[in-house]
Formats: sequence, C-alpha cells, structure tokens
Amino acid sequence: MSDTTLVTRILFQDFSSWSITLFYLLGYTAIGIFAHGVYTQVRKYRRGRPLDIGAWRQRAVTMVQDMLTHRTLVRRDRKAGRAHALIFFGFALLFIGTATITLEYDILQPLFGWRFWHSEFYLWFSLVLDIAGAGLIAGVLYMMYRRQWLKLPKLDYARPDRSPQDPDYDRSAYRREDWAFLWALILIGITGFVLEATRLVWLSGQPTVWDLRFWSPVGAVMAHAMQWFGLSPEGAGLFRSGLWWFHGLLALTFIALIPYSKIKHIVTAPTSLMLRDPLAGRRLPKVPEEQASAGYQYITDFKWKELLHLDACTKCGRCHEACPANAVGAPLSPRDVILSLREFANQSLNAVTLPEKAELDVHGKAPGQVFMETLWSCRTCLACVEICPVAVEHVPIIVQMRRKLVEDGNMEPLLEKTLQTIHKTGNSFGESKRKRAAWTKELPFTIKDARKEAVDMLWFVGDYASFDPRNQKVTRAFARLMHQAGVDFGLLFEGEMNAGNDVRRVGEEGLYEYLATANITSIRDCEFKSVVTTDPHSYNTIRNEYPDFGGEFEIQHYTTVVRELLLQGRLRLSKTLGYRVTFHDPCHLGRYNKGFDAPRDILQMLGCELVEMGRNRDNSFCCGAGGGRIWIPDAPGTEKPSQNRMHEAGAIEGLQVFVVSCPKDLTMFEDALKTSGYEGKFVVRELIELIEECVEYDESPALSVEV
Amino acid sequence: MKIVVAVKQVAALDDDFEIRADGLDVDEDFLMYDLNEWDDYSLEEAMKIKEAAAEGAVEVIAVSVGPERVDESLRKCLAKGADRAIRVWDDAMEGSDAVTIGRILAGVVKKEAPAMVFAGVQSSDQANAATGMAIAASLDWPHAAVVAELDYQPGAATARIKRELEGGMLQAVEIDCPAVLTLQLGINKPRYASLRGIKQAAAKPIEHWSLGDLGLDATQVGTTAALSRVRRMEIPVKGRAQMIEGTIAEQAAKLIEIIKEYKGEAA
Ligand code: SF4
Ligand code: SF4
Repeated sequence: MSDTTLVTRILFQDFSSWSITLFYLLGYTAIGIFAHGVYTQVRKYRRGRPLDIGAWRQRAVTMVQDMLTHRTLVRRDRKAGRAHALIFFGFALLFIGTATITLEYDILQPLFGWRFWHSEFYLWFSLVLDIAGAGLIAGVLYMMYRRQWLKLPKLDYARPDRSPQDPDYDRSAYRREDWAFLWALILIGITGFVLEATRLVWLSGQPTVWDLRFWSPVGAVMAHAMQWFGLSPEGAGLFRSGLWWFHGLLALTFIALIPYSKIKHIVTAPTSLMLRDPLAGRRLPKVPEEQASAGYQYITDFKWKELLHLDACTKCGRCHEACPANAVGAPLSPRDVILSLREFANQSLNAVTLPEKAELDVHGKAPGQVFMETLWSCRTCLACVEICPVAVEHVPIIVQMRRKLVEDGNMEPLLEKTLQTIHKTGNSFGESKRKRAAWTKELPFTIKDARKEAVDMLWFVGDYASFDPRNQKVTRAFARLMHQAGVDFGLLFEGEMNAGNDVRRVGEEGLYEYLATANITSIRDCEFKSVVTTDPHSYNTIRNEYPDFGGEFEIQHYTTVVRELLLQGRLRLSKTLGYRVTFHDPCHLGRYNKGFDAPRDILQMLGCELVEMGRNRDNSFCCGAGGGRIWIPDAPGTEKPSQNRMHEAGAIEGLQVFVVSCPKDLTMFEDALKTSGYEGKFVVRELIELIEECVEYDESPALSVEV
Repeated sequence: MKIVVAVKQVAALDDDFEIRADGLDVDEDFLMYDLNEWDDYSLEEAMKIKEAAAEGAVEVIAVSVGPERVDESLRKCLAKGADRAIRVWDDAMEGSDAVTIGRILAGVVKKEAPAMVFAGVQSSDQANAATGMAIAASLDWPHAAVVAELDYQPGAATARIKRELEGGMLQAVEIDCPAVLTLQLGINKPRYASLRGIKQAAAKPIEHWSLGDLGLDATQVGTTAALSRVRRMEIPVKGRAQMIEGTIAEQAAKLIEIIKEYKGEAA
C-alpha cells in the first residue's frame, strides 16, 4: 500500500456517465427548489416592517454559544435537549463532511488539481462521520420514542383557543410533518450506513478498502453481518447501486424541502436566537410618533424580525406548558398564537403580490386569525418568552395586537372603565389624587415630601400599596422599617401616579405615555440618590421602560434594600421565626428582573425554613394579575391561576406561610387561599410582615400588623 | 348632511370638597372635569349614522358652551371621530342657565343648518334635563326627549324613535326632521377614546365662536338673561334618625309634639 492516495472513497465508482449527469441534474434541481424557497421566505420577511438590529457580532457570538452549549434546549427537558444535541452535532458533522467532499471533488480538484480527501485524513474523516451518523440515529430514535410513547402534554397539539368544529383546529398535518421529518432523518442515516457496509462487502477484495474497514466501525460491523448472511461482493455491488439512488434522492429531497417545511428551523432557529432582544417583554416597544395607528392590525405591521420568529418555532411546547392561562383552560396557548400567525403569514405573504389589505387583517375568527379572547387571556407573565429555546418573543407580539384592540375599544367594559378612571384620577382605584398618601396618617412619624426637600431614597409607592386597605398595612410596615433603619426617605405624595406598567401591558400605549411622562417629570423635579419601591410592577417599568422616555433612575426593589440594611446591621433582628415557608416569585421581580435571591436571603436571615414549590424562580407561576388581568374578571366557574398556585403550595407538608413580595400577589393569594379551601391551613404574608415580626424597634413598638 | 351633537363638560366632586367663598358653587379646586356621560351616547349615535352612510355623506359636529377647559372634552369628541368641534364662549355667558344655553346652542344650529340635533337627556352635574328641549324651543323644531331607540336614515324626512316612559314603557313616535332629540343612556355602546386618539385629535382644530358669530348680544345670555339664578349652594346637614320609644299612645304624643315643633307652633 505504497500510494496512500488510494485510501479514499472513489465517488460515483462504476457509475455510467449518464447516471452521473442525471444525478447532477437532480442535484441542481434540488438546489433550485431550495433557492426558490429561500427567496420566497426572505421576500415574506421583507414584507414586515423594517427594524434596525445592530450589534451583529455580539449577537452572532451569543448565538454560537447557544448552539454549541445547547443551553436553551436542555432547560426543563434535559433528555430532549441532549437528544437534540446528538442530532444537531451529528447532522452538522455529516453536513460539513459532505461539504468537504464537494469542496474537493467539484471545486479544488477540477480547478487546481488539489486533493486532500485521502490517506490519514480520509480515515479520521470516516471515523468521525461514522460516530456522527450513529449519534444522529440515536438522537432521532429517542425523539421517536418520546413522541410515540411518552405522551407529553406539551407535544399534544390540541388547541385551547379553538374548538374542534373550527376549520383550523386540526393540527394532524403538523404531526405528520413531525414524523416525516424524523423518518427522513433516520432513513438518511440508516441508508448511509447500509451503503457504507455494502460498499465494504462489494470491495472486500481491495486491501485499501477492506483492511481499513474499522475506521468506519458501524459500517464494518454491518458489513460483517451482511457477509454472515451470505451477501456476495457482486450482490452487494448490485444492491448498492439501487440503494445509492434511494439515499441520494432522499438527501436531495430533504435539501429541497428545507425552506418549505419544519426542516427550515435549522436556519430560522439560529437566526431567531441571533435576533433575540434580552429585554423582550420587559421593555415594550414605543410607538413611533408619526405612526397613525398604535398596534398591529395587519400581518404587514409585524416587524420582519417577528415574522422570522414565527418561523423559528419548533412546536416544542415549552411555552404551552409554562403558560398560566393555558394551565387554567383559558383560550390561549402562546404556541398556538405563534403557529396561527405563522400559518397566516404563509397564507398571505408567500404569494408574488400582496393580497388586499382586508385579507391581511390578523384579528378575527377566520383560520389563522387570532381571537380577541385569546389576546385578552394573556397575563404578560413572560413565562413563554423566558423558556422558548429559539427566542420567540410572544409577549411583545401579543401586546402589539392588543394595542389595536384597545384602539378599537374591543375590550371588557370593566377594563375600559378602569382605563378611563386611571386617566381621570391617575390611579386605578378611582380615588382622588389627594388621598394617595392617606395611609401615612396613621404613622407615628411624618414622611418627608421629596418634592420639597432632598432625600436619599425616593419611595415610589404604587397604586395597590397606596390604596388597597390590606396592602396599606404592609406599606406602613415598610415605612416603619425604613424609619427604624434611619433611612432618609420621602414620597411624591399626590405627585405620584399609577406607574403604568400594567396599563402598557394592556395595550393602552397613549395612557402609558401620559402616566410615564407625568411620573418622570415629578421624579425628575426631586433631589434623591435612588428610587425604592415595594411594587414589582412599578419597579419593572421604571427600571426598564422609563429610560425610553428620558427617565433614567436608579431603582431598587425593597428586597435588595432590606437585605442590605440587615447585612449592614442597620436593622437588627430580635428573634428568628422558624416558620416553614414557601416563596412565590412575583413575575415582575423574578422572571422580569432576575430578583430571585434577595427575598430568599432575607427569609434565611429570618430563620425561616424555605421549601420551594416545584415551579419556582424563573419558572414561577403567575398569580394571574398581570397584563391588566387584575382589572378583568375571570370567567366564573373556571380555575384561577392563583388557585392553581395555592394547590401547589398546599401540597407542601406542614407549610405555615406562603410568602409573597408584591402587593398584587397579596391581594390575589389571600383571596385564592379562601376560595381554594386552604384557610386555616397556612397563611399568606408579605415578606415585609415577617421582617417586621423580627426587627428590633427602638421607639414606639411596632404597631401590630393584624390581618 | 350634518348632525349637531350638543355636549357638556361636567364636573365631578372630589370626596371631600368645599363650597366657594361666595357660596354659589363648589370650589373649583375640588372639581374634576369630564365629558358628560350622556354625551358619550349621543355622540356615538351620530357616529353610527355617519359610519353607516357613504363616506363623507354625514358630518358630525360637536358643540359645547364653556370656557377654555371645555376644549379637552371636545378633543375627546374629535378623538371618537367627530368631524368638527365648536366651542362657544364669551365672558358675558357666565351664569347662563339651561334656557340661555339652549338659546346659544340654537344659534349655532341656525348657522350650521343640520338635519338632526342630538343632546344628552341630562347632565350629570346639574341634572336639569332642560337644555336639549330649550334648543328645540328656541328653534321651534320638533323634539323628543329621553330617546331610547332611534331609526333614522340620513336625509330622511322623518325618523322613528322609541321614548322611554316611566315604569319601563316605551313610546314609539315618528318625528319630522330636522328635529332635536335628547338621547338616553344605553341607546348604544359608546366607543373608547384611546389616549393616542385624543392626542392625535389635538391636531384637529376646535372652532371658537363668540357672541358676534351667533348674532346674539350680551343681554340675551348670561346671568342677565337667565330665567333662574343660583342664590346659594349648601351641603344639607345630615339629619339623624331617632327611634321613638314607649307605648303606642306615648309614641303618638311624641310624634304630635315633633310635628308641632316643626310647624313652629307652641307645644
Ligand atoms: S405571557 Fe404568560 S400568560 Fe401570556 S402567553 Fe406568555 S405564558 Fe401565557
Ligand atoms: S414558541 Fe418557542 S417555546 Fe413555544 S412551542 Fe415554539 S419553540 Fe417551543
């Protein structure tokens, strides 16, 4: 074996020239079909609104990291993530391998006479690709098993937002596509190995092939098996040519169909990851001044990036599973919103010319359109956005569509009333502005008016903490804590208005602009170092959204402030509690702003035994109040998300206190405690109340916070 | 074809409020202004007629009498789709009552010559329920009050309406047009004026008319011409209920005593 260049695979070995030509013709056809598909898809995206992306390099780096680590895919489904990794890396290596061969055979060799696909390189190449192929098959096998036998609810395509009579209820086409995809992959893999094995049997007389067969271990084992069954080299040669065409045609069909099928996600998913907005949902998009209508009515109102996100969804169902609205049987699944819109976009935007405006309307009851009830069911809890492995951003889309509903007055009468009330009085309780700080009257000390004198900390109280009688007690307790710690703090008094977080998530952008600018003006006129709030909703919008309106303020949620005060010894504890507690992460503190640790640290300092619920931290389950749903009554007879959550907590053995750190949570869960039958079993408390129980007060003993 | 919708900016009271020093009204500091609730409905009714007709066939004009702050309410009407808004004011109009306001509005109607005039049944602050009818009286036009249903084709010579009577009765009426109708709550579902809509309506002009534009003079409006004048405004002292105890005879005697005391007779 002196000439090592003989150690290679001869392409098209023993093929007649017409069959090689035929293969190339088919190959070019496949590429043509593929290119046409890519063109139509790009044209579809370009029919969306323009958008400046920027920072491409950083985006690409993050995307590559996402792909290599598979970090978004292993979350909450490690096995599926790993199986995907096998398929992904297997497929990628096989693709690179094939591309390498093409590079030599079709480009470098004919043009420059260069050859490198032989000798040692070839052997390693064979080995690596064999392993890749085996990985691919193993991964696909697991996926098949998962789909067929695990019966995962998230892979059930039953739609909560449609009834079986609706023409677009049936999702069996997706199921067929899923299976076709898996079968195509596994068949390409298996036939590849069989081909490899038959080639070995066929050429078993050639030492450059046969002696090195174990560099293709899978193929070699199969070749031995074939021989054992009595396959002769001639028989193998014959079988091979038939199989070769099958394998080749399958692979070419696969390539041709990429832009037209689920396979598309091998391109759209990474692109979508690259287009990810780290603040998606946390900071909703502004409406450009010159834009006549506020939200999305037509599919062409979507930004091109959003149209692409729609195509990235792989129906993995993670968002479907995480969605609190879906969990309680509301007619909403974030997955189905995305799929509906995708179907709609494919229906209307793939043609050469755009259809009539009326046919581009995404609102309504026709196939592909999104129902009003669906949009109003969303609690903007961000669970969907947070878990989506391919960076689909559902919430901005849902809110943009709601903006249109609001503009047309398509909303619950009660919500409409609340919005009008907020406009008129600046708060959702319809109380007079003058009364905003009425809760301070019962305090034994006066709180500074930050509008009149400089303070260290400006306390933005928020509506619920200001007006709701139950929450007022907590608000006063926090004031006593700050006072005890000697914090120099003040309020805006009647200068404060509803922060607008939920108004914005409802989709009343004009009202939000009004509230935000008014608050920013009031805050700006004060002299202070940082802002503090007990309300995660206000916290989110001031932190993430006010900057877009010129209000850059440093803001902290009270949990970080109190932790600091405790650590510095400015607040001392006179006792610890030893309660068995669980903690509910408020969406706007936890998932929205990653404030997971401060409340837990405080609970630990208080000596509480924290038992986590199954859904905690980033997977926390919304209380149901978000996105303005606190102003929309839940349909009678249906389970509320807060009740669902109570059952989760109720399952904890010996639970004493269900701890929250958000005014709306306190209201929602105290109510749910009663309605779901846990009254007397455990209590709902704001973390501040537990702190208050332990803190050592110098002067006036803490007024008891009876509840 | 035009429809004139007469609207009013009404005042709502804060929880704790004070009466003005002159004792004639509530201190302005404690008032919150908004468009009268009834007017949301009458404007909506006009908008429905406009939207059902061919584009540009119906022009909806919102008209109000009042000082500058009233522009805000008119802007809301524009945001909901009114084509034009007219605010009529002159310092001489201060102190006008329902009848003089009706006269002023009738002046606008004469100028605009609409096919229909809508007003709310009443305003939520003064509750006279008279302005709409006063317009009709000044114009000497057909009129119907407390309309709960309206069937009207733009340009038609008559309209069919149903009026709400006491005891849940409806009275079906056919009325010659042009006419003045006061519309009742619930006749339709008023649309929501989004804040963006209101903001964008700020770009639409509000026409400001004065006495001269209406061919009226100062003696026909304001306190001088008003048929009624506010003399005093007061918060009634809340009486306390008192249980009269004792036998039937004792109770009767006590009652007689109280009645006599009220009538000013000596016990
Ligand atoms: S934000 Fe929450 S409620 Fe809305 S679709 Fe996503 S998961 Fe469901
Ligand atoms: S939107 Fe994302 S999380 Fe939801 S099904 Fe699609 S890929 Fe999965």
